[in-house]
Amino acid sequence: MIWACEQIEERLLDYLEGGVTAAESEEISAHVATCARCTPLVESVRGTVSAMHSLEAVPVPPGLTARILDATVGPEEQSRGWRSWLDWTRVMFQPKFAYGALTTLITGVVVSQSLGIQWRMPTLADLNPVKVYHFADSKAHLLYANAEKFVLDLRLVYEIQSRLQPAEPEQPSSPPQSGTDGHSEKAPKNPQHMNRVSISPLPQNEIACAFSDALERSDP
Amino acid sequence: MEQDAQLVEQCTRGESAAWAELVRRHTRRVYNLCYRFTSQRQEAEDLTQEVFLRVYRTLASYRIEHGGFPTWLTSVTRNLLIDHYRRTKRERITDSIEDVLPQVEEKESAGRRPDQVALVDELSGQVQRGLAQLSPELREAVILRDLQGLDYKEIQDTLEIPEGTVKSRINRGRIELARILQQMGVTPH
Repeated sequence: MIWACEQIEERLLDYLEGGVTAAESEEISAHVATCARCTPLVESVRGTVSAMHSLEAVPVPPGLTARILDATVGPEEQSRGWRSWLDWTRVMFQPKFAYGALTTLITGVVVSQSLGIQWRMPTLADLNPVKVYHFADSKAHLLYANAEKFVLDLRLVYEIQSRLQPAEPEQPSSPPQSGTDGHSEKAPKNPQHMNRVSISPLPQNEIACAFSDALERSDP
Repeated sequence: MEQDAQLVEQCTRGESAAWAELVRRHTRRVYNLCYRFTSQRQEAEDLTQEVFLRVYRTLASYRIEHGGFPTWLTSVTRNLLIDHYRRTKRERITDSIEDVLPQVEEKESAGRRPDQVALVDELSGQVQRGLAQLSPELREAVILRDLQGLDYKEIQDTLEIPEGTVKSRINRGRIELARILQQMGVTPH
């Protein structure tokens, strides 16, 4: 039998799914192999079917089953099901949750390492309330002492800085006497010098006094 | 199938645990059918809920002699999808095709490389876009056959049409989908 392109198109499903006789299959194959219209058609349909078969099922949105049960039997009834208490755990199997948990874990490890926390396997003795209390107490005191030292150090630095800074020149009550060019004597002559900070060096003995004063004050 | 029949029987006796089990067993199938037909996640979710509500109300009318529970469930889903399609037809005409394009699906892709996952996701989106352009008669036939894996008899029972029409719709649907994909520049192998 000689097959026309239209006939092959009509029987394509049977041809692809083995619904034609062996003789028909051979005849169709012979036609398709030489036909410029049928070759791409058969190839594309075969590819499309194969693509659809390769698609996986779309995952059910979390909570949909619970909502259905809620809408039908109600929340009280569905909670009686022995599996219902496991529903909340389903979210844990989502890739997003796993990614978030992993990120949190890594962050926790990095932060604890930077804080100098040494992790080791806990022992039964670690659960002793007295031991736990002493550990927490010592950590709290250490933290307080560190904070106090930090504040005192800051005070010391501030004190030294304030001593080292030159006293601000007093504002003249009367307008400065201007020279012939209208500028005072101390004003920078060059515009490039106008924004420069003038630091007057302090004598060595003044710096030493400032240090000793500040140390005396910070030392209780 | 026997387990389904047993669960249905327990449901009709008022055992809510059996109903919960029935819902858990079939939510995936119904949701996938709705999603493949509508191309919209939210719509698919609402329709799935509606399907189970209808099934819950009419469960007493189910008779095992008329076919398996999955076939009956698919039939209920299909009727609801067609109702929904007719109801929303006017709204859709005003929508551009871009509005109904599906989002790339988050696949369960255990054991796949990221590039493979991306390829499958892309292909899935393209097929979904192609399906959305088919007429509802051809679309439902192709979905039931090639995505839900039903045999001709089950499709015949679901759609309540002769086997010859079932085959003809699947065949025409596949050919049309292949042409749409070709126009989209997709050449699946």
